[in-house]
Amino acid sequence: MALMPKRVKHRKSQRGRIKGNATRGNKVVFGDFGLQSLEGGWIKAQTIEAGRIAAQQYIRGEGRLYVRLFPHRSITSTPLETRMGKGKGEPEAWVATVRPGTVLYELGGVTEDQAKVCFARLAHKMPVRVRLVRRRPA
Amino acid sequence: MADTLNVALREQLGTNRTRQLRRTGQVPAILYGHGEKSVNLSISIAEVNSAIRRGSKVVDIRGAVSDSALIRDIQWDAFGSTILHLDLTRVSADEKVHVTVPVELRGEAPGVREGGVVEHVTHEIEIECAANALPEKLVVSVNELHMGQSVVASDLELPEGASLLSDADAVIVHVVEPVPEETEGADVPGADGTEPEVIGGRKEGEEEGGE
Repeated sequence: MALMPKRVKHRKSQRGRIKGNATRGNKVVFGDFGLQSLEGGWIKAQTIEAGRIAAQQYIRGEGRLYVRLFPHRSITSTPLETRMGKGKGEPEAWVATVRPGTVLYELGGVTEDQAKVCFARLAHKMPVRVRLVRRRPA
Repeated sequence: MADTLNVALREQLGTNRTRQLRRTGQVPAILYGHGEKSVNLSISIAEVNSAIRRGSKVVDIRGAVSDSALIRDIQWDAFGSTILHLDLTRVSADEKVHVTVPVELRGEAPGVREGGVVEHVTHEIEIECAANALPEKLVVSVNELHMGQSVVASDLELPEGASLLSDADAVIVHVVEPVPEETEGADVPGADGTEPEVIGGRKEGEEEGGE
């Protein structure tokens, strides 16, 4: 089931802009390999879940998958055939805001070849361009 | 043997000049320590990359300055692909320094055949060691690791004269049962189509206040 926050301060938020590159969450921290976003964008909770399932089905308990994203922001929409006005629509989905450089998923306990195949399957699900990254030298 | 970096003095400072320098295939760096004046340097990106990829901590500096230095800090770009700046500290051979050393796993754990998963929990540890005896990495053998067993930081074999600065009880690697795949709809907020609770929001059935 798709992720969403348990408690929020505000149900709706303004759209905002994604400016600049990621300065946090841009390193491989938990695993050995990471899937890094090369573009900014919103990734829906359903997409995060689809990616998780695609990767988990490939590694099948062999390694460990870490999901580094969480959908904190709600996006709203107005129903079809609704007249203009009457205020902002109702929350429809939850999304994670991604800046270029953000590490989306990580894999540990697998070989590089396995990580490549696994992330290739996962990358197909992502709405942003991604690439495989390794840990930075200490 | 320590890697050698050929350095040149960097006289033109500032964001713009530094960017120009990077475009010519050089990395800006600074050398400080031992109570001497700090020196601004530039080093070829190829030399820096090869030293860092090899895991070198202590380097010999040649050229405008001749000294032995510890790579104290590396600044990367947002994507972690380009080195933007290096911090070098002067060190003498027998001086004790604090460094972060990567921990690498070797071998095959018998716990995997028992249905477990090898989980590498701590990838880097901090040690104090003489500059001339700094290890590039610490190797941990997992050949004896059965299901439920772990290796902690105090079990690591450190070079002679080195001491551990990280938590001695920190788990480096353990063999655990695989995490079961999350079942659909299990204990996830919003699984039943509800919305998250609004902090400070009005609860259902509560009367609207005001006039």
